[in-house]
Amino acid sequence: MADVDAARRELEEALGTTEVLSDPLALTLYARDAAMVEGGCALVAFPHTVEDVVACMQVAARHALPVVPRGSGTGLAGGATPIGDALVVVTSKMDRILEVRPEDRLAWVEPGVLNLDLANAVAPLGFTYAPDPSSQQTCSIGGNVNTNAGGPHCLAYGVTSSHVLAVDVVLPDGTVERFGSEAPEAPGYDLRGILIGSEGTLGIVVGACVRLTPEPPAVRTMLLDFSAVKDCAATVSSIIAGGVVPAAVEMMDHGIIVAAESFAHAGYPTDAAAVLLVEVDGLPEAVEAQSRAVENAARDHGVRTIRVAADDAERALLWKGRKSAFGAVAQIAPHYHLHDCVVPRSKLVDVLAGVYEIAGRHDIIVTNVFHAGDGNLHPLLSFDRRIPGTLERVLSASEQIVRLCVNNGGSLSGEHGIGLEKRDFMPLMFSEVDLGAQACVRAAFDPEGRMNPHKVLPAGARCGDFAMARGTDAAQAAQSIPEGSWI
Amino acid sequence: MDLIHPMDKLEVAKALRQATADRKRLLVVGGRTHVDKGEPCEVDAELWTTQLDGLVAYEPAEMIAVVEAGMRVGELDRILWDGGQEWPCDAPPRATVGGVIAAAATSPRRLRVGPIRDTVIEMEVVTGDGRLVRSGARTVKSVTGYDLHKLMTGSLGTLGVIVQVALKVRPRPRSRRSVRVAGGLEVGRRLLDAVPGPTAVLAMPEVVELRLEGWPEETERQVEATDRVAPVTVVTEEGAFPFERPWEASAVIAEAAVPPSRLAEFLTRPFHDLPGPHLGSWGALLGVGIAWVGLSSSDGDLEALRTRARALGGIAPVVKGPGGLGNDVPPGLDVHRRLKASFDPAGVLAPGRFWGGI
Repeated sequence: MADVDAARRELEEALGTTEVLSDPLALTLYARDAAMVEGGCALVAFPHTVEDVVACMQVAARHALPVVPRGSGTGLAGGATPIGDALVVVTSKMDRILEVRPEDRLAWVEPGVLNLDLANAVAPLGFTYAPDPSSQQTCSIGGNVNTNAGGPHCLAYGVTSSHVLAVDVVLPDGTVERFGSEAPEAPGYDLRGILIGSEGTLGIVVGACVRLTPEPPAVRTMLLDFSAVKDCAATVSSIIAGGVVPAAVEMMDHGIIVAAESFAHAGYPTDAAAVLLVEVDGLPEAVEAQSRAVENAARDHGVRTIRVAADDAERALLWKGRKSAFGAVAQIAPHYHLHDCVVPRSKLVDVLAGVYEIAGRHDIIVTNVFHAGDGNLHPLLSFDRRIPGTLERVLSASEQIVRLCVNNGGSLSGEHGIGLEKRDFMPLMFSEVDLGAQACVRAAFDPEGRMNPHKVLPAGARCGDFAMARGTDAAQAAQSIPEGSWI
Repeated sequence: MDLIHPMDKLEVAKALRQATADRKRLLVVGGRTHVDKGEPCEVDAELWTTQLDGLVAYEPAEMIAVVEAGMRVGELDRILWDGGQEWPCDAPPRATVGGVIAAAATSPRRLRVGPIRDTVIEMEVVTGDGRLVRSGARTVKSVTGYDLHKLMTGSLGTLGVIVQVALKVRPRPRSRRSVRVAGGLEVGRRLLDAVPGPTAVLAMPEVVELRLEGWPEETERQVEATDRVAPVTVVTEEGAFPFERPWEASAVIAEAAVPPSRLAEFLTRPFHDLPGPHLGSWGALLGVGIAWVGLSSSDGDLEALRTRARALGGIAPVVKGPGGLGNDVPPGLDVHRRLKASFDPAGVLAPGRFWGGI
């Protein structure tokens, strides 16, 4: 058993007593993120500097404590849900934008900087930070790096990995390394690329060098309204097949339209079966040409109306409805469970039909608001878990939705990550050998298996069959989740 | 030198298991166009991937192509052409897809199309001890565990043999123009600021070449914007880019990478400081930070170039001719060594070819 009291004293000495919490309320608050699962932890630390994070790692190493990095806690897969005697390291107080350098189109930020704060800070210089998760008002860059976060505009601009040039990381042994570079290439393997999307299992990100994207000279946002979901989904494939890649193509079905409209009052057509929110950008000439292509594709599939945002205010309003959708669904039921599967675009029509069918069979309300251009579905199951038997039905429907997506050539997660919630689904996509190789990558960074244990890889995945057996038994033991950790 | 010429991925796996058992050191070879990149290393055999050249899947509407790694870039170009798309690596037609990825080769159009690593979304690789491992997914987004394909991209065949990849491809722009103006770095810098959304701004000592892509009306406007900064002397539609690569005449080519704003400092000062008059020509990708520099040999001039690159936060590996990568130590050397030990336990894959003696 780890000596938690000794670890607490050492942390208080290094960080100050106000920056280390161990009272029951704090431990309960930090026992979960935005996912449905709940765990437990022993200590919560709030570092302000890289040195503070190094101290956290050293203390954890001395006392064999698992370490769980946490940003804003908006993750939906349980990636920041601690288990057992964990030390939760919260990076939200490391929230400075250190440098903005337009001539290199980059900025250095601390991990606790919020996504939208960064975008707003660089906007006066004519730049933006392209990845824009719907939680961008609250999610942090550190968390974005760890989940390789996406967002509506990743269709044209790419996910977080394409926008992070370098990361400063504290490794589990307390050493600090910079992976990647301000230069376009760096010596060594692309450890930057491995770290992005690693869900806090390889180290703690203490700084990121992000790429800034020039704001496009012109933007046009359109709302396309359909009387059938399948026509809406088919329009997405048609647009892309026609050789046009809009900046964003978001789809909302009837349930979401109604919920978002009563919250945001964006003027969404509440009698529509589904709408597409399409944004095109570039030079005015390109915006004109892309708009024509989008409108033609929509007409081919029987679009009812096409509303073009007349100005920035209307554009912001159309987006407000989309970005507040997940909050708006609280009107439907008190709890929701959100999925994040990706399917080939050409399968959108079939898979959506399957999702409605599964939800119907389980008597659960499902609504859909998602990144249609990427094929990244977000089926949202709304329910009241105080009603006995409901949660079981939700979990059963969830599993069937995941299997449906993978069976259609899809992936478990597009941008939320695997975390705790989906780790046992990993064998649906990967063989034992594949997962063993992934375990080797993890062990290369964290031979003792203390970084965010239980996450990402299923309990059976081991590096042992590969040459490096060191530390894997201990790591393996740490991967079995204690009884009672789940809700 | 022995040659191993596997016909499919299972034969690759068999060959690697045998090599591991026999402690036989291998160099993985595709089209030989990027084979100079890497430190010199002694091997007992070459493993050629060129028979693994099949098309596995291609659906233009998905913007994803799945190919075996030995497929030639020219062949892939032809396949994608029919779908109105491209994989923008701009490597020589005889280069293999796997070789381009293993070398993390830079496209002259990187400003717009990004690094090659962003286009690889799924990969199958045979490890040094003969395991066939897959990572990623055939979807444009996927966060599912550790992206081994990121690790393999640019690994110069020292962790495994890339046998199959899924590539994110892009629509071929409707209009593609190459433009030339007189000038050098300073004119190039002004063009980078003044021309909206260029695909490439390549500065050379006496000229600047731009690549402009998009809708016809769009490139028209980009040409006009260029002309306002410096009179356009040549415009071609659908032509090659760049028009020529004068640095390729040199015996040695270094591919320097520095923060974009340091390119001018990197390219102008060394020529005054360095001994010897034969630095040859160069081409610099403005806004990207890549410079191809021709050298007459890999002795003193190269070392001076690397010193300068290092001082500016960059590197300068050689991509053609002798000279290797340089002696920069990769950050996280212990992690690198553990990765090598996991994926190539017997050390049969080109030992010593990679950075840090790996």
